[in-house]
Amino acid sequence: MTNIQRQNYPYWFLFPAFAVFGLLFLLPTGTGLYYSLTDWNINTTAIHFVGLKNFRDLFADKKLTAALAHTLVYAFSVTILRNAIGLGLALMLNTKMRLRGFFRTVFFLPYVISPIIIGYLFTAIYHPAHGLLNEGLKLVGLRFMAVDWLNDPKFALLSTILVDVWRTSGFTMVIYLAGLQLIPTELFESAALDGARYPQTFRYIMFPLIAPSLTVNLTLSLIGTMKVFVMILVLTNGGPGYTTEVINTYVMTAFSLGLYGQGTAANLLLTALIILIGAPVLVLLRKREVAL
Amino acid sequence: MKTSRVSHALLFVACAFLGFIVLTPFAMILVNSLKNSRESALFGLNLPKEFVWKNYAFVLSKPAVIRSFLNTILIGVFTVVCTNIFAAMAAYVIQRRPGKLTKTAYYVFLLGLIIPVSIIPTIRLMMNLGIHNTYQGIILYYIAVNLPFSIFLFTGFMSSVPREMDEAAMLEGCGRLRLFFSIILPLISTVFVTSTIVVSIAVWDDFIGPFYLISDYKKWTIVLNIYSFVSQYETNWGVVFAFLMLVMSPILILYFTLQRYIISGVTAGSVKG
Repeated sequence: MTNIQRQNYPYWFLFPAFAVFGLLFLLPTGTGLYYSLTDWNINTTAIHFVGLKNFRDLFADKKLTAALAHTLVYAFSVTILRNAIGLGLALMLNTKMRLRGFFRTVFFLPYVISPIIIGYLFTAIYHPAHGLLNEGLKLVGLRFMAVDWLNDPKFALLSTILVDVWRTSGFTMVIYLAGLQLIPTELFESAALDGARYPQTFRYIMFPLIAPSLTVNLTLSLIGTMKVFVMILVLTNGGPGYTTEVINTYVMTAFSLGLYGQGTAANLLLTALIILIGAPVLVLLRKREVAL
Repeated sequence: MKTSRVSHALLFVACAFLGFIVLTPFAMILVNSLKNSRESALFGLNLPKEFVWKNYAFVLSKPAVIRSFLNTILIGVFTVVCTNIFAAMAAYVIQRRPGKLTKTAYYVFLLGLIIPVSIIPTIRLMMNLGIHNTYQGIILYYIAVNLPFSIFLFTGFMSSVPREMDEAAMLEGCGRLRLFFSIILPLISTVFVTSTIVVSIAVWDDFIGPFYLISDYKKWTIVLNIYSFVSQYETNWGVVFAFLMLVMSPILILYFTLQRYIISGVTAGSVKG
């Protein structure tokens, strides 16, 4: 067999993929580790090693610590909300409802649209004077809630979070729905025979058995939302002040100021954050999964 | 599970309401894309007083817009073709030849799904290689960032093609390249569809790549063009919405015709079973 394997499954088949991925993903990631320890900027002719100076500067910068905090708040809020809503939608569509295929298509729709388009769309919807949100609030008598969503420091971050929840809940829904549909119907039948009501069925049958979907949704969501960039750029550009600044907008600013070493260091902080949060979450959740 | 008729009706109403929340913003873009600058600034859901079709004509009359559409298609086609072929080849060996090397390679590729792109060093690397601000540069970048997901997808599906198939073909004297290209690949054509859809949408919707890697506006993709267009015409929402409609419509048409493939593709591999 090994002989056959060597003949028919040559290692060089890995080469094209590895060459491109290695050159344009792994290599910059590796050199980034070094650049983050240098004084590389737009004015330098030669790059010098400066140890951890960039990181010291970063942590001394209030804007960066704020960006770190916002990234975490954003990631956890979006993750929790989109999972709660996605699971709710999946449970609703897992019944024998009319038009469920149509609803599934509609709920997933925003996910295929470019975030930049969604961003501009919600710039209009959040418009303080004429936007649909405030018009709607006035219509139902909640005029006092009609604030300037994107320009009021108290609400700006929340507003960006809600847009992402609107955009991606359908994605989590589809994954939960697939998980729910893998549960054999006999389990529901025997539960019904034993007199289990819906909450019990959910607690003891559905929830444990959709644990793999939960794992996927929570990890994908945390990893993805910590990388948020375009949505913030378009909706608030980090403002007002720096109340919606996140790591990726900070990296962009550092880049446009020509602070390349420092920007790379900030990017590295994001990588570290994703690994530090993503890995334990994944390990923790996998332990709880029930095999069917 | 027994669910009474009343609760069924309530669920339906809830879904209809949520569907309304999802669709209303799209309706708003559509009607306002046909209004003049003063009316569209009110963002109302009413039909336009007069239909201003010239918003669309205006956007399409910009040579930069047409050019960026063509750029996106050019970049997208090369990216999709190369990503699919490279991913299929890699996945084939990873799945068919289990061992330390292939397993390590697989996990290294999967790192690309987790770790964020190190964009500033990428720019420097591209400048050193002389491919910054070029089509081939951004195509290579897109292949690199899209490969991990495609390899993941292909590796999963490759196991559905029985090994006996390879052996039978070999006994018939089939060469290894012919085995791969004319026997294995046709058998996994559904993954090609899935991967093509996912990668096309990723390229069509992406902002970060051209934002950092392309400085010459003649090579911009459509999404980057939106960014500069909006800053230029932000006083006239009618034309901005018309532009957004034009960029969304290919994706919308694709989505409504192929939604089964798209939903299963985008979420592929996320679900065990």
